[in-house]
Amino acid sequence: MHWLAENWPDIILPLVALLAGLIVTLWLRRRAYRALARWVQKSKWKGDDILVRATRAPSILWCITFSAYLAVEVSKLSATWKTRAGNGLWTLLLISLALSAANLANGLIAYYGDRFKASERTIAVSNNVARAVIFVIAVLVLLQLWGAPTGALLLAIGVAALLLALAWRDTLPNLLAGLQLNARGRIKTGDYIKLETGEEGYVKEMDWAHIHIEALGGGVVSIPNRKIVEGTVVNYGRQLKKAREPFHFFGRAHLKELTGLKASNLGELVNILKTVPDSIVYYHTHNFIEEHHYLTPEPANDFSVWVSDALGDEVLGEQLAAIDTFEFTSLAALRDRLVSIIEEHLSQEAQPVNGHRDAPEGREFRFIKSISIILPTHYVAHDLREFVEALRILSLSSLYFHVFESRLRLGKGQNDFSAWLESSLDEKELAQEVARLDPYNYTLEGLRSSLIQLIENRIK
Amino acid sequence: MRIDDYEPIIGKSSIEELRLLADKLSGKVIRNINSTYAGGGVAEILSRMLPLFNQLGVDARWSVIKGNDEFFQVTKKIHNALHGRGGPLSPQDISLFKETSQKNIEEINLSGDILFIHDPQPIALVEKKKEIGKRWIWRCHVDVSQPIESVWGFLEPWVTQYDAAVFSAPAFSRPLPMRQFLISPSIDPLSDKNKGLPRDTIDAVLSKYGVPNDKPMIVQISRFDYLKDPVGVIKAFKLVKRSIDCSLVLAGGTATDDPESSTVLAEVKEKAGNDPDIHILLIPPDSNVEINALQRAATVILQKSLKEGFGLTVSEALWKAKPVVASAVGGIPLQVKNKFTGLLSHGIEGTAFAIRQILTNPEYAKWLGENGKEHVRHNFLITRHLKEYLLLFISLDHSEDVIYLS
Repeated sequence: MHWLAENWPDIILPLVALLAGLIVTLWLRRRAYRALARWVQKSKWKGDDILVRATRAPSILWCITFSAYLAVEVSKLSATWKTRAGNGLWTLLLISLALSAANLANGLIAYYGDRFKASERTIAVSNNVARAVIFVIAVLVLLQLWGAPTGALLLAIGVAALLLALAWRDTLPNLLAGLQLNARGRIKTGDYIKLETGEEGYVKEMDWAHIHIEALGGGVVSIPNRKIVEGTVVNYGRQLKKAREPFHFFGRAHLKELTGLKASNLGELVNILKTVPDSIVYYHTHNFIEEHHYLTPEPANDFSVWVSDALGDEVLGEQLAAIDTFEFTSLAALRDRLVSIIEEHLSQEAQPVNGHRDAPEGREFRFIKSISIILPTHYVAHDLREFVEALRILSLSSLYFHVFESRLRLGKGQNDFSAWLESSLDEKELAQEVARLDPYNYTLEGLRSSLIQLIENRIK
Repeated sequence: MRIDDYEPIIGKSSIEELRLLADKLSGKVIRNINSTYAGGGVAEILSRMLPLFNQLGVDARWSVIKGNDEFFQVTKKIHNALHGRGGPLSPQDISLFKETSQKNIEEINLSGDILFIHDPQPIALVEKKKEIGKRWIWRCHVDVSQPIESVWGFLEPWVTQYDAAVFSAPAFSRPLPMRQFLISPSIDPLSDKNKGLPRDTIDAVLSKYGVPNDKPMIVQISRFDYLKDPVGVIKAFKLVKRSIDCSLVLAGGTATDDPESSTVLAEVKEKAGNDPDIHILLIPPDSNVEINALQRAATVILQKSLKEGFGLTVSEALWKAKPVVASAVGGIPLQVKNKFTGLLSHGIEGTAFAIRQILTNPEYAKWLGENGKEHVRHNFLITRHLKEYLLLFISLDHSEDVIYLS
């Protein structure tokens, strides 16, 4: 009691400082958290929620530590004891800060892990790594604070960090790119994207390292986030109306079968033409397009070329060349027209000179049959976006098959594209526009461009 | 060469198409049989194609028949006779051919699913068909449009035993009881003869042969043979030179086994006289890069043949995006569509007129050259050849005209 009576000012002053410190810091804390709560409510970012949650409880400890530090500073303790007490308080503060930082890191990892659909294992590993990093930093600072040697530990940490960086050298950039993509928000699940390197399709899933797309050629393609961020990506946006039945693109190749049949003059030509299979009529009315599709939209048939060049009958050659193949929906009707034009020409001549005028030796008309081999490609379209993107990369033989061969040779009466647009997508108007395109007046690349244009206009 | 090396030339979708077709032949063995592993067009195309087949996953193999010099002299006679040259076979020729063929039938490995027999030398192997079955195809690389009938008649009993025959041009076919297909020959865009060359290489070849590059250059590459009409080329050149300052390069080898070629060369030199703008170059065999360079240095390329088989040199010229003036003979009209992918001519005056048209209209010349290159890209490259062989093998199991594969 005597000691207390003598030294009460030395006790009261630190107590007052402690109390005052507590009152002020706790009041400030309360104000600060109220302001933060308002800000959190307004903000869409979930990270601030996690920040508030992680610091709310430990911040009381920080207030106490700060107030205790004030009390020690104003006390009459010796300098040695003041330093020891100060270090003790700093130790407490650091432990508390490390715990809060670990909670904050775990909260953020859980939040982004969920957003990027990271696996549980990945989240657990990330949590452990974050905790380890925070605690190692805290231990280092504490050792520094208490004057202990840290050189060996720093070296070990350096080596561990290097190993970690090596192990994560591929993953880390993708993770960072994923964060960047997420922050920008320009690509979402369901968007149709196309990379400059050729990958394209609807985004099925976005995770912490990859974007998974449903490829046009079937299957799911996983693209590293880094590739998306560093490259050029076209985003066509939302998913379009889905077709009742997908469009399966077919490829088509053809063989030329020789028949040994030949005609030296018009009479022989027309007689043979009347009896040969449709596949021969098809070959001689479409071979020029197939072999010269890059060159000219001029729809020449072999009969007109032969009559002009080998028989020198320019008039009949022009009549045969002028046949509008697009007008016909069956090869039988096309053959009838060819036969009737030649027969009429023969009958109109006072003396049927041309009927018997022979082509020079070696330039006889040789009848050839077209053998088509049709096989499915990998390309399937479920909507207009997939359809138009497939059209861009489709082989010309595939385009040729769906537009020319299917319509006339297979006797469907209309091209496959129009049929699908109308029956599976209810796109009547677009189907009619496509059907109205006369493919015989385009080069195949020109036809491809026109089709793409029509569909792009519809999607806009 | 790797199949993917062709992707920049024909596009990704065409390579994908080849893979899809090759997939349909998985598990099948295709055995090619001819008379030699080296020398000649057939060996060259097989050595280029087989690795590509195998890269596509098609098990293609290659065997050759055996025979002594006498046998190959007889087969040379047959070859010439199918071209319409020489005379009928003697009884000794016939018995030697049959004996050697019989030996080969007994000894050669005929394993595989499809036996793809090239040219007349191994034609008689098909006698084994009755015993072992399998699919047999005869690939005729020879122009048989006007053969010596007795020689064709000698081969015909074998030809008709095959399941199918393949010819290079429509004019080579004739009524036969089995199926016949048209598959044109092809060039390899990556070979020394056709690959792109740097300007330095072209200049080095010109300076090596002493050809100045100071005026428009007309070039014909062909051996010195009457059928290639080199004298006609000089006449046409002289007509052109009346109004346009230009030079002519006639480059080719002389066939050592052909005494006629020396006579032709002498005649050509005489006709050229002392004209410093006419360059007659004797090029050693296999000078592929030199030929390539001369074609690339040309302003116009000529192929003024009087008779031609397929005339694949025209496709080689077109591939260099050069305007071509060629005679409308043999397989040339398949490669040159008059006024679209080049100009066709029928005589000396017509050739001179076509050359003048090209030399005085550089834009038109460029348009023809570019069209010509596109035409070859789509129709005369090795990849198209490869595709048609795949289709041929697939079609053997189908008789319909439209075949759906799943």
